[in-house]
Amino acid sequence: MKLRRTMLYLPGNNPNMLLRGWLFGSDGLILDLEDAVSIHEKDSARILVSRILKEGEFGDCEVTVRINGVDTEYWEKDLEAIVPCGIDGIRIPKVEGPETVKAVDEALTRIEKAAGVTVGRTKICCLLETARGIWNAYEVAASSPRVDSICPGGEDLTADLRTQRSDDGVELEGPRRRVILAARAAGIDAFDTVFPRINDDEGLVREATFIKQLGFDGKSVIHPRQIPIIHSVFMPTEKEITKARRIVEAAKEAAARGLGAVSVDGRMVDAPVVKRAQFTLTRAGLSEEVQ
Amino acid sequence: MKTAQAGTLESMDCVVSLTEGGAGNGMTVTLAGASAARFGKAMETRVRETLKKLGAVDVTASVQDNGALDVVLEARVEAAWRRLTGGGAA
Amino acid sequence: MARNSVGRELPGQIAGYGPVLPFNGHKARIPEGNCAGGRLKAAFNDRTDKTVKDIREAIKASGLKSGMTVSFHHHLRNGDYVVNQVIDACAEMGIRDLTIFPTALFGVHKALIPHIKSGVIRRIMGSVNGPIGQLASEGGLEVPVVLRSHGGRPRAVISGDVRIDVAFIAAPSADRYGNLSGRIGRSACGSLGYAVTDADYANCVVAVTDNLLSFPMTPVSINQTKVDFVVAVDSIGDPAGIVSGTTQVTRDPMRLLIARHAAALIESSPYFKEGVSFQTGAGGISLAVAAYVRETMKARGVKGSFGLGGITSFFVDMLNEGLFERLMDVQSFDLVAVKSIAENPNHVEISADWYANPWNAGAVVNMLDAVVLGATEVDRNFNANVNTEADGALLHGIGGHQDTAAGAKLTIITTPLLRGRIPCVVDDVYTVTTPGEVVDAIVTEFGVAINPLRQDLIDAAKEAGNVPLVAIDELVERAHRMSGPMEPVATKDRIIGVVEWRDGTVIDVVRQLDK
Repeated sequence: MKLRRTMLYLPGNNPNMLLRGWLFGSDGLILDLEDAVSIHEKDSARILVSRILKEGEFGDCEVTVRINGVDTEYWEKDLEAIVPCGIDGIRIPKVEGPETVKAVDEALTRIEKAAGVTVGRTKICCLLETARGIWNAYEVAASSPRVDSICPGGEDLTADLRTQRSDDGVELEGPRRRVILAARAAGIDAFDTVFPRINDDEGLVREATFIKQLGFDGKSVIHPRQIPIIHSVFMPTEKEITKARRIVEAAKEAAARGLGAVSVDGRMVDAPVVKRAQFTLTRAGLSEEVQ
Repeated sequence: MKTAQAGTLESMDCVVSLTEGGAGNGMTVTLAGASAARFGKAMETRVRETLKKLGAVDVTASVQDNGALDVVLEARVEAAWRRLTGGGAA
Repeated sequence: MARNSVGRELPGQIAGYGPVLPFNGHKARIPEGNCAGGRLKAAFNDRTDKTVKDIREAIKASGLKSGMTVSFHHHLRNGDYVVNQVIDACAEMGIRDLTIFPTALFGVHKALIPHIKSGVIRRIMGSVNGPIGQLASEGGLEVPVVLRSHGGRPRAVISGDVRIDVAFIAAPSADRYGNLSGRIGRSACGSLGYAVTDADYANCVVAVTDNLLSFPMTPVSINQTKVDFVVAVDSIGDPAGIVSGTTQVTRDPMRLLIARHAAALIESSPYFKEGVSFQTGAGGISLAVAAYVRETMKARGVKGSFGLGGITSFFVDMLNEGLFERLMDVQSFDLVAVKSIAENPNHVEISADWYANPWNAGAVVNMLDAVVLGATEVDRNFNANVNTEADGALLHGIGGHQDTAAGAKLTIITTPLLRGRIPCVVDDVYTVTTPGEVVDAIVTEFGVAINPLRQDLIDAAKEAGNVPLVAIDELVERAHRMSGPMEPVATKDRIIGVVEWRDGTVIDVVRQLDK
């Protein structure tokens, strides 16, 4: 029941951000070897990220690495350098179908075995940055047990759709709905793409509110100042917290009395609802009440 | 003489330049920049040990530092060495 | 050798400084007796124009001789021409062995270096920085530099520790009978607060202006009863170096993170309520703290009483928004502040004495709720160093650091845990400028350490729940772990700088670098 509201991109060739980026309080970090690193620095960024993964510190953050695309010469070298460090997961850019995941999955298994890392430990988040990728969202989401999340693209996707990003994001509405549907159908998480206008707080609040309502678990983040804003959008309301508390209390009581079924105000409550209520309290920063 | 370089002058980074030395000339390390006054010896040792581990023998290293921690210094030395010996970036 | 209360070994006497009174607690020294006085003067109706032809004439008329003490203010900051012009003229006139007593020196004053080397300047009492600081650190001055805070300096003048022979006061506007103002003129700098005590106590006062007006000019910062001579020159400074346009809040995310923690600490404290007062520097983190506090003041409907210190456009905006009732301005940092002090009666000019002197009947710092300060390093005992850099060079003045820390109810020092590889939270600072007994919290990107003396603040921060508290020892150890052990600074025994606490006792000394 880990929070995944914000996943902060850290440029892979920037020691300052790689070493201290976790202090900004995001739920997760994405050490980026792809777009944030110029073609001439792919090698040095890979070495830097690998060493910092081994020796650095990341607090309570989920740690992932965005590798270069499978259409480049870098992605396997990226995996070989970072997977042995024992990371939570990788992000694969520009995934268009299950075959991409299969190829990466096999490489991961090979590298994990060789490095003595538990096979299957390294999860995958697939970035769907083309129309084809969005179209195949469910097949991608269900293509491997490693895939634990999918995420629509932003700039690349709108270009592929032959449009551009607008203030209200109307062009991404369809893809977003398809991604959340596919993720839930496959039983995995869905992240939203980054919000590029870093000084537009109101726009960010609007977009975060919208994707939260669609059901997304969180959002990729390109600037630290966006983190508290998104967290406040994902903060449950007092009403939601009160309701969740009652459900969790009832579940605790039922467990203490050895009852299988949980009832709140005389109505039976299903296990998924209890889980959801526990998650609401976690999001509200009240995880101690869940235990 | 072959040379290679890695790193940047951003905060907490450094630029490591390596030059292939003639056989038998051994290793030379020079340091300049932000931390040299208070960490010079530790940095030089770290550069030498990293190079040795990578198999370097005859090489001249010069570090222009802007506050790199050891982990960064090592990464830049390794990147420069791979560029020097592997040919080309990336 | 005696040990002062922050553990510094001090000799009983320092050559070129005199007997050493060891620091023994921030309010341990209580003065006795009367103030020192300037020379008695008389003027009658046979002299109604105080202007003299040029700076050389003024020097001659002032009676300045070799071995005397001359004072300057730093309101023209890095744009100042006056210090260099006056010392150049002294050199041409064969005057030597001067003690210069500036409120601060800037990079532009590196032109004094040849005069130091040739013996025109023998001693500097006041902050040194950049090339002059480097020169002093390497032993280039015969006599140790004496560092005093903005409050400690007027204290030294009023108590007679320092006697000023001639005060040269750069005046952006002056009339022919010696009324001075910083508010108008092409070199306008706003407040003239640092010059006021010098004008009151110097044996002779020379105003240097590039905007000579007819008598009487108003409003007046320093009035005709204090000023002996007025010199008009082409230019007293470069406006671009005197004030910036506006002062911008940093965009660096790490500095903003530190600022956010500091703001959370202020907002959690019992002082954040109706009538709150505060001071922040113009530095990146400090100003960002003000920006966050401003938002919270608006959100919670809290109105403050006054903002203090060096005043920026940011504080002017807060005054205009009704978030402060008054600004108390000893130094105006930007054009917006200069305009405001000239136009807004609630934006008040104050002298350094009024601002920060511990030896009067009450300075404004005593009324401060919260102050946000910086430092080059802080230590396990919450001592702060603002004078020396990591390589041991004496490169910064004290400013109002000691005074506001001693006066404010909540003193916060913000600093990154490391600057590059250099740890900023250490076992023991290289130089103690401000003792830990007057520092309440250290705020870094890795968390907030509150001085254990302030259990009340710790409780309030815990109650608020959004202040990431951490023990000071943990910060020290984390910094040490990240940076690795530092090599000691190599020094000679010779003392090149004396750091006075605001009451004139010696809190630390700085030794010559061994290069």
